[in-house]
Amino acid sequence: MAVEEIPQISPIIRHRTSHLGRAVPRREDRSALLGQSQYVADIRLPGMVEVAFVRSGEPHALIRSIDTSPAEQIEGVVKVVTAHDLDGVEQFPHFIEYNQPVDQFPLARDRVRYVGSPYAAVVAMDRYVAEDAVNLVAAATDFEPLPTVTTIDQALAEDAPLLYEGWPDNRLTTALIENPAVDRAFEEADHTFSETYTSQRQTGLPIETRGVVAALREGQLTVWTSNQSPHIARTTIALVLGVPEPEVRVIAPAMGGGFGPKCHVYPEEIVVPWLAMTLNRPVRWVEDRAEHLVSSVHARDQRHDVEIAYDDDGTIRGIRVHSIGNVGSGEIFMPGTAPTFVTGGSISGAYELPNIEIQTTCVVTNKTPSGAYRGFGIPEAALVRERIIDRVALLTGVDRVELRRRLVLREDQLPFRMPAGGIVDSGSHARSFERGLEMAEPLLTDARERYADDPDVRVGIGYANYVEPTAPTYHLTTGFWAGYDSATLRVDGDGKARVSLGLAAIGQGAETTAASVVAEALSLQPSDVTVVMGDTERSPYGLGAWGSRGAIVMSGSILMAADRLLEKARRIAAHMLEAGDEDIVQDVVLRDGFFFVEEDPDQRVGWPEVATAAWARTVDLPEGMEPGLESSGYYDPSDLEHTADEAGRLNAAATWANGTHIAIVSVRLSTGEIKIEDYVVVHDCGRMLHPGLVEGQVHGGVAQGIAGSLYEHLQYDSDTARPQFASFLEYLVPTCAEIPKLTLDHFESYAPHMPLGVKGAGEGGTIGGPAAITGAVSDALAEFGVFVTATPITPVTIRAALRPTGSGEAS
Amino acid sequence: MERQDHDSPSAQVDIEVTINGERFRNRVPARLLLSDFIRDVAGLTGTHVGCEHGVCGACTVIVDGDAARSCSLLAVQVDGCTIRTVEDLATDGGLCPMQQAFHENLALQCGFCTPGFLMTLESVDPQDFADADDLFALLSGHLCRCTGYQNIIKAVASVWNEAIEPHGGRFQS
Amino acid sequence: MKPASFDYYRPSSVSGAVQALADSPFAKVLAGGQSLIPAMNFRLATPPMLVDIARLEDLHGVEVDEHEVTIGAGVTQRHVEMSTRVAEVMPALAEALRWVGHIQTRNRGTVCGSLAHADPSGELPALAINTDADLTVEGPNGIREVPAPDFIRGPFWTDLRPGELITSIRFPVAPRGTTTRVAEIAHRSGDFATVGLVASLTRDGRTIRRARLCGFAVAGTPIRLRSVEGLLPGVEQLDETAGRTLADAAAADLEDPVGDIHATGQYRREALAALVVRTVRSMLEDPQREAS
Repeated sequence: MAVEEIPQISPIIRHRTSHLGRAVPRREDRSALLGQSQYVADIRLPGMVEVAFVRSGEPHALIRSIDTSPAEQIEGVVKVVTAHDLDGVEQFPHFIEYNQPVDQFPLARDRVRYVGSPYAAVVAMDRYVAEDAVNLVAAATDFEPLPTVTTIDQALAEDAPLLYEGWPDNRLTTALIENPAVDRAFEEADHTFSETYTSQRQTGLPIETRGVVAALREGQLTVWTSNQSPHIARTTIALVLGVPEPEVRVIAPAMGGGFGPKCHVYPEEIVVPWLAMTLNRPVRWVEDRAEHLVSSVHARDQRHDVEIAYDDDGTIRGIRVHSIGNVGSGEIFMPGTAPTFVTGGSISGAYELPNIEIQTTCVVTNKTPSGAYRGFGIPEAALVRERIIDRVALLTGVDRVELRRRLVLREDQLPFRMPAGGIVDSGSHARSFERGLEMAEPLLTDARERYADDPDVRVGIGYANYVEPTAPTYHLTTGFWAGYDSATLRVDGDGKARVSLGLAAIGQGAETTAASVVAEALSLQPSDVTVVMGDTERSPYGLGAWGSRGAIVMSGSILMAADRLLEKARRIAAHMLEAGDEDIVQDVVLRDGFFFVEEDPDQRVGWPEVATAAWARTVDLPEGMEPGLESSGYYDPSDLEHTADEAGRLNAAATWANGTHIAIVSVRLSTGEIKIEDYVVVHDCGRMLHPGLVEGQVHGGVAQGIAGSLYEHLQYDSDTARPQFASFLEYLVPTCAEIPKLTLDHFESYAPHMPLGVKGAGEGGTIGGPAAITGAVSDALAEFGVFVTATPITPVTIRAALRPTGSGEAS
Repeated sequence: MERQDHDSPSAQVDIEVTINGERFRNRVPARLLLSDFIRDVAGLTGTHVGCEHGVCGACTVIVDGDAARSCSLLAVQVDGCTIRTVEDLATDGGLCPMQQAFHENLALQCGFCTPGFLMTLESVDPQDFADADDLFALLSGHLCRCTGYQNIIKAVASVWNEAIEPHGGRFQS
Repeated sequence: MKPASFDYYRPSSVSGAVQALADSPFAKVLAGGQSLIPAMNFRLATPPMLVDIARLEDLHGVEVDEHEVTIGAGVTQRHVEMSTRVAEVMPALAEALRWVGHIQTRNRGTVCGSLAHADPSGELPALAINTDADLTVEGPNGIREVPAPDFIRGPFWTDLRPGELITSIRFPVAPRGTTTRVAEIAHRSGDFATVGLVASLTRDGRTIRRARLCGFAVAGTPIRLRSVEGLLPGVEQLDETAGRTLADAAAADLEDPVGDIHATGQYRREALAALVVRTVRSMLEDPQREAS
């Protein structure tokens, strides 16, 4: 590892240990393996009661009346509340100026807009009784059904029923960035073509559902919630409940996966604390899976109307994309509009595709509100982009790989400003693609050989090259928060360090990495470092775990804090070594946990002596020095922009990772069965702090990308807006039998402006799947003229595509 | 408390269950799920609940030697039975070989599904599984959202191959 | 997702169970509960009483002789799957059981319970129909035998009358030279089939003498593919033309395929036809597997 190459945020960290870049076992594992990790559902408090929510079974209706009295009479029921009982509770704030305002109260007041919308809550001695009562409340609710809106077309129809009175239509937001160069490109190009690509509604689906426990403890409202952003949850809870923020403590305990849905602040995170305050006893709600499927946010429900201007030689002159997100009812904080904007901004990906005009529209419908899911609009963009390239290749006869080679970013083009404003500072785009091709070639040959004797099977290959915006702005998403995160670092008298982070642990191994970074910064062993996360009382304000930001913002804030702490520690050490000669401070080095002057290494003091002087034997401190050895860092990525310029351009991420995905599939013609034979990933997230964790992120992300390509689909009846899913029998999460053994390789293009050169790695794995797999299936079926434009691809859609036109039903 | 022998219909039942060597005698609602009995009555929260309809496998425990979904069993159905949960795997604070293999192979991320996988693996004899497809069939009763199953398969292969053939086993990792 | 309240009853005899079921018309039999308990968790089933028959010794028998395999209502799927005696006489049963749920559910679920549940996508009802199994049913009016094709009346609908329960199922052993395959198209491993097939071919040397095929997950009940069965005797191998004829016959046998969120009716018809051809062809190419 060449030290010189590593960008250093802190010039004073001169020492270098070897805690980074190694796949060490995780410190999180032991408690999880022993069954001792404490998830929200594992919290037991004396006197605790259980909550169950009454959720609308109607997709769109006025609530005429709710009779809670039958439920209240059940033995074991403590309280039943509706929206009108929630004294002092505000609606969720409107922070996003570009959206139509959605007035969302924690419980629906007089109108429900999706199946699953909570409109009453039952508190009971246990969940069984609470569910008994929920059924009685539901039965005693008088709804007046309203006409429903399910699809984008229905939402945009002239005479569409409106979800919100006072809106001119069902558009939650709409934006068009005009680009005269695109108009010119369309006039000048040899040909134009238009097509529509769609991706289906999915959800992040952590195996641990959401859950909230709330209790008043010593006058403070303590809320345990499975939330990826505990500080944001705290601010929001305080705001909506009208409670002073210092009186609210939010704890995100062990989390059974996040993947985006747990970024939002949900009605239950308001109502459960309110109940705890009102009843003055601990209250618990644990979401069940049936609730989860309709009440935690959905995602990816998008349509893209695309026009392409291209020349005979395959040159893509211009692209117009109208991305339309079906964001469900819109009743969610923060709103679900951002992913569709991110899709528009990500269309060009790892390619030089200059003239792009992006129009973005989000429509409201009577589906569950949509929001964050790993990838956050980027897998959808990759699908659009790679389909466009494959389509142009098909139209012009230029080879698909050759066309990509012409377009993919080369190192001599970097830094590269993407049409939407993103500044790709570094990366291995072309190299990754070539490496992927090289890895895929023998796999493709093998796959073809395996099926050579089976006339019913076709094999195909598909490609995706992407950039992944990492540590992005949260301002576009929330209209409020932006992009920093924090660390507070302390070295105690025994020389052991404690770091507390604004980040949250969601299973990504952040504690292990944080300990390594602290150990690196302070020349300690990781085992000397205690990591605290996910508790607003014990960790500094930060924005949480999302957007592939953890490695970046954690490293940045830890190094800033370490920088400040070390400066003081060196002054103390200098004083102890030379009895007050301040001049030697510049010469004091820290190596292997000891402070000394290079010329005289035998004279040395260790962290315990220095820290003891700071905390206890303060008589050993230099005269006039403030006691204590603790510091904080608030790291705000410097290149990150939060608002667009006049041309609508914005560098929305601190840095950009990149990758290549190549899928090799077999398709059985007679039944439409699809098998992923091989899946190649070349991944570049800059410097890898922990290669094992990076690989784990890629593995899990790819599995979710495959899931979204072939299996998972939240289907609604388009006539009634009723969900056609209630369980894992309808929502098909892949098992180990569906995910092939993945073939991985890595490059490390250090991010020039990021701490330690790192880029994020959380979402890249998810991005390439739909693009590569639709490409591969289309390739397999090319001789039949099949060109896949929508996910999911299933045996049913394959068969429908293979049928002679006119004979088959739509699927 | 007089013991209910289930010989007349009742909404409350007396049961006696041994969990991880500890005997529990309780009067519980007949409708109480085994998963809730383990978590709320026995206080063993290592058994996780992920779907409550028998698909995700997070709640898998061992009932009289066989892996079973504790969310799809009533507590009263295991009256008189012996249950093992994830808390019973480690010995003297040390990880069992499969736990150790999960740890070394980074086979868990959020850890929520992990106890279920471990209990299914604990319940079977590797000798009964001929190849990787058999292993997939066994583990396809469990959903993991974090790992893409890659390192789980690797971890299991490392232990099972050792159990089957010390010099290179038949389970590819 | 917690069950509604109910009374639990664990009778000490089959007659006690019958009496309880007769007294409480909406009571449900609990054996393994692998379909029932999840349905109760969703409150799709809210029986006022469960009659737990799992511990009735009389229902725990697995009797195997050269003519038939009889399985009591308390016997788990996994027990049958792992039985070497059953495997010797009727390998088809173990073959079918491998497709049922997962090992974790087969450890608790019973063979007879699958029949009582009558899920159109279940493998065991299809196998029972294909092999002309008989169910023994006990009720207030005594014991009766019901052939499987008469027992399965519709989706989740059986011939069981108030107060009755299945006490055992009897599978006749197939003639010498019979092989049976189960083939499925499912979205995911271990899923309920989107399209399923049980195929039994009895061969004399290479020549098919007798064919039994039953499609499942394609209609409200498993359906015997009578025209396909009519075409196969005498066949030694399936060339392209014969394959097409067979596929057409299979498609014709499936008069009224079901459509749902997983597949359209048209897909099911096409895929069943393809599955029939693929399975028969593969069985014909595999002369090794000639045990019953």
